[in-house]
Parts: sequence; structure tokens; C-alpha cells
Amino acid sequence: MDFVGQIVSYFYQYFDNAAFLILAAVGLILIYGMMGVINMAHGELMMIGAYVATLTYNAGTPVPLAIALAGCAAGAAGIIIERLIVRHFYNQLLSSLVVTWGLSLILSQGVLVLLGPSTMNMPTPLGSFSVGDFSFGVYRMVLFGVAVAMIVGIWMLFRYTAFGNRAHAAMENPRMAEALGVNTRRVYTTTFGLGSALGGIAGGMFAMTAAVSPFFGQSYTPLAFITVVIGGGANAVLGLAYAAAYLAGVQTITSNVFNQYIGYVSIMAAAFVVLLAMPSGISDFIERRRMRSMQR
Amino acid sequence: MMLELSSVCSGYGRVRIINDVSLTVSPGEIVAVIGRNGVGKTTLMKTIIGEVQTHSGTVTFRKQDVTALPTSARAKLGIGYVPQGRGIFSRLTVGANLALGTGVGTASQPNLERAFEFFPILKKRLRQPAGSMSGGEQQQLAIGRILVGEPDIMLLDEPSEGIQPSIVQEIGRTVRLLSRQQGLTVVIVEQNLSLIQAVADRCVVIDNGAVIATLAPDELDDPETAKTYLAI
Repeated sequence: MDFVGQIVSYFYQYFDNAAFLILAAVGLILIYGMMGVINMAHGELMMIGAYVATLTYNAGTPVPLAIALAGCAAGAAGIIIERLIVRHFYNQLLSSLVVTWGLSLILSQGVLVLLGPSTMNMPTPLGSFSVGDFSFGVYRMVLFGVAVAMIVGIWMLFRYTAFGNRAHAAMENPRMAEALGVNTRRVYTTTFGLGSALGGIAGGMFAMTAAVSPFFGQSYTPLAFITVVIGGGANAVLGLAYAAAYLAGVQTITSNVFNQYIGYVSIMAAAFVVLLAMPSGISDFIERRRMRSMQR
Repeated sequence: MMLELSSVCSGYGRVRIINDVSLTVSPGEIVAVIGRNGVGKTTLMKTIIGEVQTHSGTVTFRKQDVTALPTSARAKLGIGYVPQGRGIFSRLTVGANLALGTGVGTASQPNLERAFEFFPILKKRLRQPAGSMSGGEQQQLAIGRILVGEPDIMLLDEPSEGIQPSIVQEIGRTVRLLSRQQGLTVVIVEQNLSLIQAVADRCVVIDNGAVIATLAPDELDDPETAKTYLAI
């Protein structure tokens, strides 16, 4: 029985690690894939979501509603940020990095000034189940379910809806999209808002597994950033799935063979190896091979 | 008037390309804009659709001053633009490209049948990535895409470029048919003499960003005239 428990534990850790990467990166990769900017303030949008979820939950709001409110708040914040700042830096990767990094400092320090350095907590819901001597939190599996649902949802949104079609057009050739009546500005704002809202939802969900503080976002931004870079921009959603599946695998193995810390560091090493072989990310690499085989 | 440009000057940033152009196009008319390479024909088209900024003068479409409107708003009013190089979204399917045509004019439903009527090949290719089609097919898709919406005018920029002669002729016939049957107004930029003569009601000659002459298409039969205005 212990053997079964051990196996289940490995899978559990794998799904947990993958869910962490996907949830942290999903909004970020949506924005990067569409507009070619990396929003370094994404972690702070998650932080806003985490605070809104915690504060509304503590005021008596049920958990699902608190998370929905977290998404709305971060989405609204994202729309304001896009309108005021980010829209001036589309397709300028470096400038957008610097500007949004500055913004992330302003947001986290601003929240520090407003709410102070003390942390807030939200209990982890749904209890646990056990296999043999091993005990597992049910909520972590819910996180994985939500992560998968987000990937599938975004994929369907961009593949099967008129909005998705307009967004693809705006991404491939914005001038032509405009000439076909697509208001590309509105498409960008909507996408940025959507990406931010996903970050807010992720923040709200992580608020139940980690302490909420003004620097909450900083534990997510680096890993989200790596996941996005590894995924590549050619097919952002698939790239995210590939990157998370790969990095979570490496992390699960190394953290079991060695320890948690090495598991974390090995993500960086694994990212380094991928970028040596595929400099523009996994989905770019696959997309290019597919194109080449189509031409042949 | 369907389209009226009065004393339009336009260009990129401070660089002026179009210099005091006045031009009127009547409903259902096919006007060819001709002239040598680099005289501003494409810039003129981009000025009409709004991709290039108008410095002075006005662009009026169906009696409405559109000079200050962004490109997407002009498309919604019914200006269909088929750019040089066709502007196909190569990673989207043919069907998805066609669906985007709904944004031209105020159609609520995509009129796919009209596109298939004039370009039956598109029906067979619906699920194929548009980038994998030949140049001629892509040109048909670019025109068909406009027809899915409700354009009142079509701006066609060098439809013959890089396309085999038989398809060029076919496109010429279709443009003519669209104008006569459906009342579509067309402004076409072209270098191909036989296509110009096959479709145009009137030719406007551009040089150095200005209109220097207006000709009847058969005046281009005279080799000297053709040589002067087209550098053929």
C-alpha cells in the first residue's frame, strides 16, 4: 500500500507543480502571445486578486464568489494599466519589460504603504484524502482542474469565436485587420484585461495556499516568466501546456531525488537546456517544423 | 458621388507623397489609377482607407467626411480594401479569413454565398490554411473576403501582381461583373495594360503624387500615350 501511496504522491506533486506554473503564467502568456509584451507587473495583478479574495472572504463572501471578484478587480486594474501605460509599448519587448517592472514596484510598494507589511490568510478549503500513509489536499487537485480548464477555455475562445478570429487577425497583420473593420485597440485592451483577470483568479486561488502580503506576486513572477519564455509565442496556449508539462516533470523528479530547493533551481537549469536547443521556445520550434513539413 | 477626394495631401510623418489630389468616383464606376512605379498610387489607396494620414484636404465617402475617421471605422462604412500583396492572414483558414470580411460594411450575417458565386474555388478550400494557397487563389480570397461583407466600394491595389495571366483575366472579368451586376464601385491601381483596358471606365494618371491626366481606356491603345503614362 505504501508503494501505491508513493506513486500517487509523485503524480500528485507533478500535477501540483504543473498547476502552479500554468496558473501563474496563463494570463502572462496570453498577453505575450497576442501583443508581444511581457507584463512584469503580472505578479502584482495576482497580488491584487489575492487581497480582494481574502478581504471579501473575510467579510463573509463565499469562496467561488470571492475568486470571481478577484478576477474582476485584477481585470479592471489590467484595463486601466493597458489604457494608460502598456499600449504605448506594444511589440517593444525591452521597453515594456522595464516599464512594467517599474509598475510592479509601484504597485507592491503602494500596497505596502496602504495595508502595511503584515500578512493575511485564507484557510485552504475542501480537506484532504489519504492513500496508504500519504495524505493529499483535495484543493490542490482543484487547482490543477482549474488550470486545465483555463488552457482549454482560452484555446476554444481563440479558435472558435469571432473574437478569437479578430484577435488572430490583429496579431498577424494589424493594419489589414483594421481595414476589415477590426478595432485592434479594443482587441488589445480586451485581451490585456482578460489576461489580467486570469492572473487575478490565479492570485485569488493561491491566496488559499500561501500567505498574502504586498510582495505576494514576487513568488510567482519569475517562474511565470520562465514558463512563458520556454513556451514561446508562436502558439502561446499550447506552448504553455508544453512548458508546464516539461518543467513540472523536471521539478518533480529533482525535488524527490534531492530536495525542494534543488527542485526549484532545476527549473532554471531545465529552462536553460531548452533555450539552447530551441532559442525561441517550444511552440515556435514545433510550429516551424510543422510549417516546413507542410511546404514539403 | 460615391467617393470624393478634394485637394488631398497625405504622406508618412512629415514626408508628403500625395500632393493636392482631387478625384471623384461615381456609384458603380470602375476607375483605374495608373502611373509609373513610385508615384504614389498605393499611398493614394492607403489615404482613402485611412492607413496613411491625410495632412490637408478632405476624403468624402457617400457624402460623409471620413478624413478624421480611423481605418476600422471607414471599413465599417463600406470601404473594402484589397491591398498590394493581398493581405491574407496566412495562419488562419480560408473560412476564418472570409468570416473577417463581415467587418466591411454593416452586414450582420456573413454573405459567404456571394463569395462562392464569384470564386467557387474558395468553397473547396474552406478548411485549408490560407497561406498554403497559390498567389492567384489568395487574390481570389482577398476579393472574396470583401464580398462577404457589404462593401459599397472596393479598393484593389495591383491585383495582377505575381499572378499567372489566365487568373488575371478571370479576376478582370469578375471585377467587371461585380460592378455591372452588383453595382459595386471600384478603384483599381494597376500596371497591367490589358487588365486596365478590360475593366476600367476611366483612367486617372498619377505622377509625383498628383493627378496629371484623365484618359479613356482606349486612349492607351496608342503606344506613345501608354509609354508616356505607364512607362511600358
